[in-house]
Amino acid sequence: MMEAVNFVASMAVEVSGVTKIFGNIRALDGLSFEVKPGEVFGLIGPNGAGKTTALRIISTLILPTYGTVRVFGLDVVKNADTVRKIISYLPEEAGAYRYLSGWEYLEFMAKFYTKNEEEIRKMVKEAAKISGLGERLKDKTSTYSKGMKRRLLVARALMSKPKLAILDEPTSGLDVIHSYHVRETIKKYVREYGVTVLLSSHNMLEVEHICDRVALINKGKIVAEGTPRELKEKFESENLEEVFAKVVRLA
Amino acid sequence: MLKGFRNFLLKELKELARDPKILLGILIAPLILFPVLGGVMGYVIQSAEESAAKANFVVINNDGGEWSYAFIKFLLNSGARIFIEENVKLSDDKLLELLSKYNVTQVLEIPSGFSMNVTTHTKDPNIMASVKFYAHITTTNIFDAARSLPIDAVVAQFNRALAPDILNVKKSTIIKGEIKHNVDPAVVSGLMMSQSIVLPIAIMILLLYSIQIAATSVAIEKEEKTLETLLTLPIDRLTILFGKLAGSMIIAAVGAAAYIIGYAYFMQSLISRASPSFVMDLASLGLVPSFLGYVLLGTLLFVTILSALALAVILSAFAGDVRGAQSLVGNIYPIIFIPTFILMYIDINALPYAVRLILYAIPFSHPIIASKAVVMGDYVTPVIGILYVFFFTVVLMYAASRLFATEKILTAKLKFKWLTKYGKATEES
Repeated sequence: MMEAVNFVASMAVEVSGVTKIFGNIRALDGLSFEVKPGEVFGLIGPNGAGKTTALRIISTLILPTYGTVRVFGLDVVKNADTVRKIISYLPEEAGAYRYLSGWEYLEFMAKFYTKNEEEIRKMVKEAAKISGLGERLKDKTSTYSKGMKRRLLVARALMSKPKLAILDEPTSGLDVIHSYHVRETIKKYVREYGVTVLLSSHNMLEVEHICDRVALINKGKIVAEGTPRELKEKFESENLEEVFAKVVRLA
Repeated sequence: MLKGFRNFLLKELKELARDPKILLGILIAPLILFPVLGGVMGYVIQSAEESAAKANFVVINNDGGEWSYAFIKFLLNSGARIFIEENVKLSDDKLLELLSKYNVTQVLEIPSGFSMNVTTHTKDPNIMASVKFYAHITTTNIFDAARSLPIDAVVAQFNRALAPDILNVKKSTIIKGEIKHNVDPAVVSGLMMSQSIVLPIAIMILLLYSIQIAATSVAIEKEEKTLETLLTLPIDRLTILFGKLAGSMIIAAVGAAAYIIGYAYFMQSLISRASPSFVMDLASLGLVPSFLGYVLLGTLLFVTILSALALAVILSAFAGDVRGAQSLVGNIYPIIFIPTFILMYIDINALPYAVRLILYAIPFSHPIIASKAVVMGDYVTPVIGILYVFFFTVVLMYAASRLFATEKILTAKLKFKWLTKYGKATEES
């Protein structure tokens, strides 16, 4: 579905020494990490640690003050237009256009990726399946609950089968059943379409369940990185939640 | 009292009073807008009184009889300043020459036989004397409507002194150098006055609509949290900007068209109830813009709306939500209202030089100034307006495109620390 972009890169995401300063606030402080193609990489950390800022820089929304970010070898500052063709970003507090129906919203978004009517139809059909909204897609999004809206937005983010899906709290506001459904969909997209996923989450169970590797971020820096198992071993913890608490306390 | 009402009311007042954007809005209206409007109206009334007090006429005395001098005395006693010419054969060209020579806009001819007709009237009431009055309409100033009133007053006074209906006035109007015989300048001015109000109001509504819609369309993307997604899509940022501008312009044009149609019906219903003498066709008098005039006016209006839209987009980029955007753009309303109301009642050339400069500097004045100019066949004014507003629009569009091309569209915020000590807290929330 995505427009063909020629790139050769060993890493899906390379964040190198990124600092972001807002006024007198240093949101990121020399942040560095890498995401391999085809993996699910989790960025976790306490509130205000810099997760969203990092995701916003990778998704070309804001510029790093210092440092470089590459997505499949493309510099997000110099090649922002090309990067936008191969990524899909789901913001933490995203909304949908209230006067469009769910179906119209998905069509509107699909048309940015292809002009082919058949492809648009397929993309929207796929998104309808992911969202599980069924007939409610015909209703205006203003009538959706928070969870329904989130499912629509997750579907939007994945329907274009991006090379890199950047998902900020993808299951935020979803109940257990729908969270499970979204996680399974993410795993399916990675497995079947080779989508690389970079996500942030406060749900450690979720991170442990779907992430191949995890980076813990605190005060704008990576303080620990590895597979969930490696991290648990390293910090002698039973689960990621414990790891998280220990790392933040140490920091 | 409702339980918890006081607590809730206090919260509301704190929220509203600490919002610098709202504070700025409610301060600007009473402290700047009204004093300025008051000053303008005061100036209008003063200049009207002054112009009425020193009505200037060229009086052509082609009669030379005793009663003609008696009538001229009446004129002088009324306070009018007059220039007397005698025995002038009055042609269209001669009339225009006299207007130019004495720099006046009104000519009164006392025709030959005037004194004889006055004398005869005492024996035969069917014989009446008459004077011919010519008024040159050069601007669409509202007080042109009163132009033939001083002469009406003098004639009425003359008739009261001598005999009822002994004297009447035959009025003609000079428009664009052409004499329209038996066309009362007061009626023409009245019609033009209604035009000079309709168009500025329509332009003002169109501008306000455009600004509101453009500001809302950007702010709602922030409020509904759709902007972030939009900015990461494979779409040029300029496409988003121009899409928003075009959408706002179309909706504003539809809204303005509805207003104009409604207003036209309103005017129609007024005219249909007016006396037949009032109903006059401005087109037949040459007082509607030509095709070129409409094209220039349309072009000027287009670039002005673009500039208003770009300004609204820039301001709304600094707001976090629709309410903030509406409050911010509210601050540019005075620079639309003030020129509109001033130019509705006064011709720009009648204003003091400094005020004229300020009005010319405001891009939103230009369509109103041009709307009057094109009626009079002046095409230089709209062309200069187009060039100026186009330049202004280019600068604003560049600024808007820079905002959209960078992270500023997401992160820009206005701070009003000078206005409220809570400025930072409210703006960054």
